[in-house]
Amino acid sequence: MRAVGARVEKVDGIGHVTGQTTFVDDWRIPGMLWAKVLRSPHDHAAITKLDVAPALAVPGVRAVITHEDVPKNVLGHLEGLGVPADEPLLAESDVRWKGQPIAVVAADSEEAALAGVAAIGVSFEERPALLDVRLAFEADAPKAHHWGNWFPHFGGPDTPPDHRKIRKGDIDAAFEQADAIVQGVYRPNAIEQMPVEPQVCACVPESNGRLTIHSCTQGVYFTMGIVAGHLGVPLNRLKFIAGTVGGGFGGKVESWTEPVVALLALKTGKPVKLRFTREEEFLCTSTRAPWHIEIADAVTSDGWILGRKMLTLHDAGAYARFSPYGVTKHSFHIAGSYAIPNIHFDGYVVFTNRTPTSAMRGFGVTSVSWTIETQMSRIASVLGLDPYEVRLRNASRIGDTTPNWVTLHDPSSVPVIQAAAEAAGVELTADYRTMTRDPRSGDLLPEWLEGQLGDLDAKES
Amino acid sequence: MAKQRGRGMAAIEYPTGMNQGGDPSQCWVKLKPDGRVDVLSGTVDLGQGAKTIQTQIVAEVLGVPTDWVTFDNSNTDTSPLCTGSFASRATFMGGNAARIAAERARERVLDIASRLLEVDAADLDIDEGEVFVKGATEKRVGVPDVAAAATWQFGELITGTGAYLKPYANVDPETGRTDRNPHAGISYGACVADVEVDDETGAVAVTKLIQVYDVGRAINPMFVEGQLQGGGIMGLSFGLLESSYPYYPSVEHRGSEFGSYLSASIEGLPEVETVLLENPDVDGPFGAKGVGEMASNGIGPAIVAAIHDAIGIWVTESPITPERVLRALDEKAGGGGEPRRDGKRYVFDESLSVNALATGISFEVNV
Repeated sequence: MRAVGARVEKVDGIGHVTGQTTFVDDWRIPGMLWAKVLRSPHDHAAITKLDVAPALAVPGVRAVITHEDVPKNVLGHLEGLGVPADEPLLAESDVRWKGQPIAVVAADSEEAALAGVAAIGVSFEERPALLDVRLAFEADAPKAHHWGNWFPHFGGPDTPPDHRKIRKGDIDAAFEQADAIVQGVYRPNAIEQMPVEPQVCACVPESNGRLTIHSCTQGVYFTMGIVAGHLGVPLNRLKFIAGTVGGGFGGKVESWTEPVVALLALKTGKPVKLRFTREEEFLCTSTRAPWHIEIADAVTSDGWILGRKMLTLHDAGAYARFSPYGVTKHSFHIAGSYAIPNIHFDGYVVFTNRTPTSAMRGFGVTSVSWTIETQMSRIASVLGLDPYEVRLRNASRIGDTTPNWVTLHDPSSVPVIQAAAEAAGVELTADYRTMTRDPRSGDLLPEWLEGQLGDLDAKES
Repeated sequence: MAKQRGRGMAAIEYPTGMNQGGDPSQCWVKLKPDGRVDVLSGTVDLGQGAKTIQTQIVAEVLGVPTDWVTFDNSNTDTSPLCTGSFASRATFMGGNAARIAAERARERVLDIASRLLEVDAADLDIDEGEVFVKGATEKRVGVPDVAAAATWQFGELITGTGAYLKPYANVDPETGRTDRNPHAGISYGACVADVEVDDETGAVAVTKLIQVYDVGRAINPMFVEGQLQGGGIMGLSFGLLESSYPYYPSVEHRGSEFGSYLSASIEGLPEVETVLLENPDVDGPFGAKGVGEMASNGIGPAIVAAIHDAIGIWVTESPITPERVLRALDEKAGGGGEPRRDGKRYVFDESLSVNALATGISFEVNV
């Protein structure tokens, strides 16, 4: 091996640190217009009036688009994964979060575009907002989403169940058998992806009818498909210039600026750029979701985890975006690095009147790690056990199965915990120091773990 | 009133690739007439080094120096599809597509070389830009000469295409059971946090982080360490500092600029010790697993445990602000903070539970 394993410098590293790399906002195209967005000032409201004519009278304003200008305004981004379309590119009859885009103005300058936005005649009738996921299920709760207050399509479009379920083993028998049951509530909060480069996009209408789109997306073909879907054009009408991004962390999976700028370029026949202010980047793009998680673990007095019951309320904000995907991913990892034979999980994607939440680094699993690792620390504390040893005792081994019954062929739970103990100068007792990831036998195969073992010979793909 | 020291740990795992799979990456490799190599790929570089990773993989497979390889993801007219740089998938999926494309181009190089050297292609190998006969290393021809011969003598383009796709896994809606593996691989990690808690102000300072990750294979150890160190600090920031909704669930008082949104900065960062284990993944390119995202997951709960070790409180809402620490200390001083005992149940955090304020949903433990 010469190239693989080598500490090769980044091929574009010098350009990045000397300011020479061309990022999307560096593109200045002759005749380029600037776009600005009219956004909802309310958490939840009906739009009672929308009149863009005054904006068109503002000097320098070239075009305004509303939902009426979008060939396909409500487009699902994850329809291939069974998440039906729910979110308009531009609001139609109502707004469901403060900051939701309603109209976009293109003008000769950002100042003229802002003046155009301010001139749009818009009025609202405010509605009560739902903000606490714990209250979403009350009979008199405000309705945050037209589907109801939680995502109802976990069996596919228009198909129940209305939440993600994991059912493995017999949780009630585990509670019965347990020496102790440790319960806790965990609420990891929302945070920002905070890329150095905010959302920005420029689109050039070419003389041959094609659109050249300068994009900072994390998934070029993903976003190109979304633009093609909103515009109703084949992929060969579009050319994306992309692939060099000033930080994403999940936030630049969001593909809103690209179709909007493409529509304005088509409407005006001119290049158009839209760049979010730092304030828009903070307030009007998806954050990591806030989560509410309740958990009860059935354990023996010597630290075996017999079973786990868990309720997850994922705060999706006003629209589904990637949240159903995130909760399903979450559900597959609720046992973490351990073999847990009896699992009962209910996970809801709950809608609230806040900025829609979506992907961020660790999507769906950051919340699991926060929750179940604090549970492990609490179990060790309640039972008076060593925190390394209680983890090593339960650690996944070759042949164990995950909550969704995937057989693990080569888990590294044991070696990473041992290595962490060594690096921290923690002396493990001999049994734990010499433990391996080998398939279970003897003391490491108590009767309650026999039923969860998988078939290592089964063909996996 | 004093600064109290504590230590906590956490162990984590994280999947590579989009959950349930079905997320392809494609790549096209071609040689210029002088043997220099173009890699056309749709994989986005977010700063993590995806361009360089695929450059290294292609150079390794073709046996040429890395500076002979040009990676181009600049536009969709020439670059084939990559689902995206998310889900810790770029090195694994994009890297596999590049590996496969390079392997096919390598077959073409060896085929042309076998004609030039009049040796069976199976007896040839490539290193440092030269094709040589295994066991008779003096019989050799440079890759530039092979590419030139392909172009001017044989009228061929040396090229290779590669694609990698983890088939889609269906989920049983009633049990969550999947009909096949829903991830492309799994990485593992364990983190240790040392903290110093000021029990007068509630301030928590992280003094050291130790993090151990099984990365399968570090294609570029410098980048892997960068991901893990940056991710570790992001995890610290998530645990102690950051919140989009400081009064969650309220939407008021959101930070809207760097000056009003508190996050970690370069000032005051702890020492971070990062240990890489390499247990190769059976499907990853050269054994690599995805590690980009998981680096921010283990530090938060390790800090929670370290704070408990230091001052005997559990804070389970993030971020662990000085206010939350002081409130928990007050509760403890008043005899609270311990779990309620109910038979064999130890019930923590009851005031946060849906059971405390909702009637439409509940969390029941039947014993």
